[in-house]
Amino acid sequence: MVDFSRVQKELQECNKDVKISGISVKPKADSLSHLIGTIPGPVDSPYEGGTFLIDIVLLDGYPFEPPKMKFLTKVWHPNISSQSGAICLDILKDQWSPALTLKTALVSIQALLSAPEPDDPQDAVVAQQYLRDYQTFVGTARYWTEAFAKTSSHGMDEKVQRLVEMGFPEALTRSTLEVVGGDETLALEKLCSN
Amino acid sequence: MDSDDNLDYYDSDYENQYSDDSDDTANLYDDEEDDSAVNPDDNSKSVKTFTVLQEDDINKRQEDQISHASLILSIPEVSASKLLYYYKWNVSQLHDEWFADEEKVRTAVGLPSDAVSISGTDELITCGICFDPFPIEEFHQMVCGHWYCKLCWKVYITTSITDGPGCLLLRCPEPSCKVAVCRDMVEELVAEEEWGKYRRYYLRSYVEESKKIKWCPMPGCENAIELELGNDLFDVACLCSGTFCWNCGQDAHRPVHCDTVAKWVSKNSSEAENTNWILAHSKPCPKCKRSIEKNHGCMHMTCTPPCNFQFCWLCQGDWREHNEKTGGFYSCNKYEVAKSKGLLDEVEKVREMAENSLNRYTHYYERWVANHKSRDKAIADLNALETGILQNLRDKTLESEGQLKFIKEAWEQIIECRRVLKWTYAYGYYIPEDEQVKKQLFEYIQGEAEAQLEKLHNQAEKELNNFLEKDEADFGVFRQKLVGLTAVSHSYFTKLVAFFETQKW
Repeated sequence: MVDFSRVQKELQECNKDVKISGISVKPKADSLSHLIGTIPGPVDSPYEGGTFLIDIVLLDGYPFEPPKMKFLTKVWHPNISSQSGAICLDILKDQWSPALTLKTALVSIQALLSAPEPDDPQDAVVAQQYLRDYQTFVGTARYWTEAFAKTSSHGMDEKVQRLVEMGFPEALTRSTLEVVGGDETLALEKLCSN
Repeated sequence: MDSDDNLDYYDSDYENQYSDDSDDTANLYDDEEDDSAVNPDDNSKSVKTFTVLQEDDINKRQEDQISHASLILSIPEVSASKLLYYYKWNVSQLHDEWFADEEKVRTAVGLPSDAVSISGTDELITCGICFDPFPIEEFHQMVCGHWYCKLCWKVYITTSITDGPGCLLLRCPEPSCKVAVCRDMVEELVAEEEWGKYRRYYLRSYVEESKKIKWCPMPGCENAIELELGNDLFDVACLCSGTFCWNCGQDAHRPVHCDTVAKWVSKNSSEAENTNWILAHSKPCPKCKRSIEKNHGCMHMTCTPPCNFQFCWLCQGDWREHNEKTGGFYSCNKYEVAKSKGLLDEVEKVREMAENSLNRYTHYYERWVANHKSRDKAIADLNALETGILQNLRDKTLESEGQLKFIKEAWEQIIECRRVLKWTYAYGYYIPEDEQVKKQLFEYIQGEAEAQLEKLHNQAEKELNNFLEKDEADFGVFRQKLVGLTAVSHSYFTKLVAFFETQKW
């Protein structure tokens, strides 16, 4: 059973200094076992200016088992899957300790954005680009930040939901929104012209 | 035959190689009596190159090493137990590093010399895991001074034990703190079942971290075998009566090399589909064609009345041709491609070649399996002998137990010979076709040894039954013959093994 009393305390603690850290955690719906974390892209990195959403699922053993975390916002980074958002980070696996918290895990993810570890990649394509052609890597990462992690691209889920309610398939809606950079009106036009 | 000259050479050499001597190492093995079940007496006198360790033995060794280290390093036993595990039971390395730089070792292992002083307080303390405030009594205090309540500690350690042997390296939950969780704390905090698991992992580490101890691979057996240093004889026998090669974990296969065995075993699994039919337990009688299931150990088959045809199970030829008296020496260990040449067209030749290749393999495989099964049957027969037949025989002959020991010895010899013979067939398959002289010599020695074994097996099996069933047979003659055959078989197989161990091909 997830220790909800601890999760409750964690949320209060984390959201107290959200103004300083920029890191926040909120329940996704009514349940405290599915949460959404937010981290600002670190300064002096290609992710600067972006806001990244992290999907957090707490298993029954939490906090003795690590939380399951993945990026909801698409991100171009050697240790994060550009497809699924899966994160390769030791403290989310064998190095987890119950003395760590959701906040410390999110801080570690933020640090990972600043300091990629291309020798231990999650996304081999990105890692190869990082090692062989760093300039292009920075360009792509910055472009992805602009396209997916800026405020304009946020609320993507709501946009998708609204379009799906109009009768468009979810996968198509999502990819169309990505193509037009999250602009709902343009996406609708495109979907209708198909 | 030119091989006769070579045989003298083996005679002079084999005693050092296989049979006895070296009494100085014979007592390395504690449980001589239990062990004799599968080894002929002569072999059990040979160099003892390994020691069987039972759970209690391993436990005792661990505890001895722990108390010794505790004494030498002047530290509590729980700390010594942690250190020894960390150093993979390498006592000398532990001593070297400890006396070179004690603090460095303490830091690496997580056993700080000074504890953080904790003064009693009436205020509530917040647990670092559940973040709930408790009075100080609810906490388990660690030397590092990090505060976690007893319940959180319990779940923390239990979760780690459930995850596997990594729990033996468990440290304080605070990520920056390397202080080790010692076994006294585990015992105090977790439930009986988890403590049992923890102890088990600790026990197993002694075997698994060791370079000279391995678990017995027999199903359900929990013993371990320790090989003596500087020894290259890998066949070992566990107290569970399983025998295996310490080096590769396969069935005991001396004198054949581990490489040959590995090749052979993988060949068998890849050929399994082709050879499934061989595994079928029955063959038709070559004369009357009725199906016969082989449930006796030796290769001499007699069809049931009225047919009564006697034949060789391996080649299905008439048994009379397998008798020296009739001039036809026992020769079905040889594989010969007996084909008249020049009469076949090309297509026919290709088909022939494919068939020959399979036949050649089948020849060796069939004999390998037959000896394997024969050995299993002999083990079962020996078991039956010890649990019942021997008693019958004592009642009948009025001989003492010691007087009847020769029957047991004969069976033990049969079991060992079947094992060696089995592996020589795997070896025979890999002798290159162009090494004809060596092949012939090998097959000659193998054939002689096999013929003797068949006689011995037949005597032990059929003649003993005859004696039990008929009253007029002379037990003295039976004894004399069986003892003689046992000795001769031993000598032939010693030669066979020596042949392998002096050949470098």
